Amino acid sequence: AFVHIVMISCYTSLVIFFIPWAAMHDAVRSDGKDVADYQSFALLTQTSLLIVVSAQMFLDTNYWTAINQFFLWGSLAVYISVTFTFLSNGLFFMFTSSFPFIGAARNCLQQSNVWLTIFLTCLLSILPTVAYRFLLIQLNPTISDKVRYKAKEEGQPTPAPYRPPARRVSTRRSSYAFSHSRGYGNLVTSRKFLRLRKPSSLFNRKEAANLCKQLIFCRI
Amino acid sequence: MLASSYKDEDGHISVSGSGAAAAAGGGSLRNKKPENTAFKQQRLPAWQPILTAGTVLPAFFIIGLIFIPIGIGLYVTSNNIKEIEIDYTGVDMSSPCFNCSQNFSWNSTKSCTCSIPFQLDQPYESNVFMYYGLSNFYQNHRRYVKSRDDSQLNGNEESLRSPSKECEPYARHDNKPIAPCGAIANSMFNGTTKPVNWRRPVYELDSDPNNNGFINEDFIVWMRTAALPTFRKLYRIIQRRNNLLPTLPRGNYTLEVVYNYPVRSFEGRKRMILSTISWMGGKNPFLGIAYITVGSICFLLGIVLLIIHHKYGNRNNGADVSH
Repeated sequence: AFVHIVMISCYTSLVIFFIPWAAMHDAVRSDGKDVADYQSFALLTQTSLLIVVSAQMFLDTNYWTAINQFFLWGSLAVYISVTFTFLSNGLFFMFTSSFPFIGAARNCLQQSNVWLTIFLTCLLSILPTVAYRFLLIQLNPTISDKVRYKAKEEGQPTPAPYRPPARRVSTRRSSYAFSHSRGYGNLVTSRKFLRLRKPSSLFNRKEAANLCKQLIFCRI
Repeated sequence: MLASSYKDEDGHISVSGSGAAAAAGGGSLRNKKPENTAFKQQRLPAWQPILTAGTVLPAFFIIGLIFIPIGIGLYVTSNNIKEIEIDYTGVDMSSPCFNCSQNFSWNSTKSCTCSIPFQLDQPYESNVFMYYGLSNFYQNHRRYVKSRDDSQLNGNEESLRSPSKECEPYARHDNKPIAPCGAIANSMFNGTTKPVNWRRPVYELDSDPNNNGFINEDFIVWMRTAALPTFRKLYRIIQRRNNLLPTLPRGNYTLEVVYNYPVRSFEGRKRMILSTISWMGGKNPFLGIAYITVGSICFLLGIVLLIIHHKYGNRNNGADVSH
């Protein structure tokens, strides 16, 4: 598994660098000006990296709740906003030597060949992972895969037909109401109430007899 | 005198005993169970992406079918762009600029000129862009990239008087600050003035007052460091005159070079490029070819996976799954 991860990492790193390199080799903008400068190239590589990482997390997360969605899309949104902030005019004028990449986002993200390069890079990085996992499911399905497949085949059990909850006639009565009716008197004195069976082996027979005499309803 | 504490069914902790009388003042202490909300009891509705054949295979085919036309479009557009590259370094003995490149010296006042003839096979229409290209010139070396002072270029007076430390050793000369400072400015590519101790100061770069000083366009273009060792930068634009005539008709042309920028010392090459432009930029067949390749790989992979799914996919119905 470690070797597998190392191979995928090497492949992804090479793709993320060399595809933008080859695409920017002699490229210019659609109005003839430079797009192959240091700042735009860095931005291009960084953006495609972010998107690839987010897509890998999308594939790896097993349990997508609202929290996961929020953080994943949120991180992409924060990246975009931070990029535009760092490359804005305001920060450049305030801290000139720390933010020299002014204008790179506005300049290069308008070019269609930049976006096409990003799209190509991300797809090429994710394709092996998707294909590999799909093959694993087909050729070596784990038990959970099989269960999932069976569950999908049988379909969801139809939901129980909706019946409005029956109004329960309450069988619990208050003691006030109880005291005004016949109550349990007959039942209690009818000797049907408690039947003590043969005593367990814990007691010997004499103790059992004594015990029985004390209880009114015992029958031996 | 032990204080005994016990938990009753509701999770309330009651403490009894003499030692804990002070603590038990309020009676029931706080409830330690978390609230019964969906968030805290981890009962949020969830979802999981599952790679089934029904999603993956159509996705592969669709991606393949989308990428191939895009690639074809890019490749055809790139092929329609006309470009010509003329290397005028003067490496071969037969090149007209050979003498200039051999005889270059820093102190010579006479500038060496050479002319290279070339010819255009097709007329170039609409705006034609002229670039100068350098090879083996590492503008992306880290120390080089940092050797600039952006506050100075921005016009900050304090920086003009004392350039930043990053510009060393091109920050001062005879105890006077250099503006613009740094190695990037010092090595500015020029067709006509000498690098290293520029012959003309920065405020005489051009007679046009809008293109002089720090806002000189050649200067700005040079200061924007390139990413790769082989790069091209825009030099001039040949505007289209009218719609009927091509901007550069077919024929023979001559390139007059005032050889001032020495590149042979680091095995570099310099060249002039004339090119037309399209919506995707200059002539760049790589993207088109890459898209076609990836599209067809995707399509083939989809077919292969479909075959595998057909033959081996029913392993999912294994009998060893018990409910």
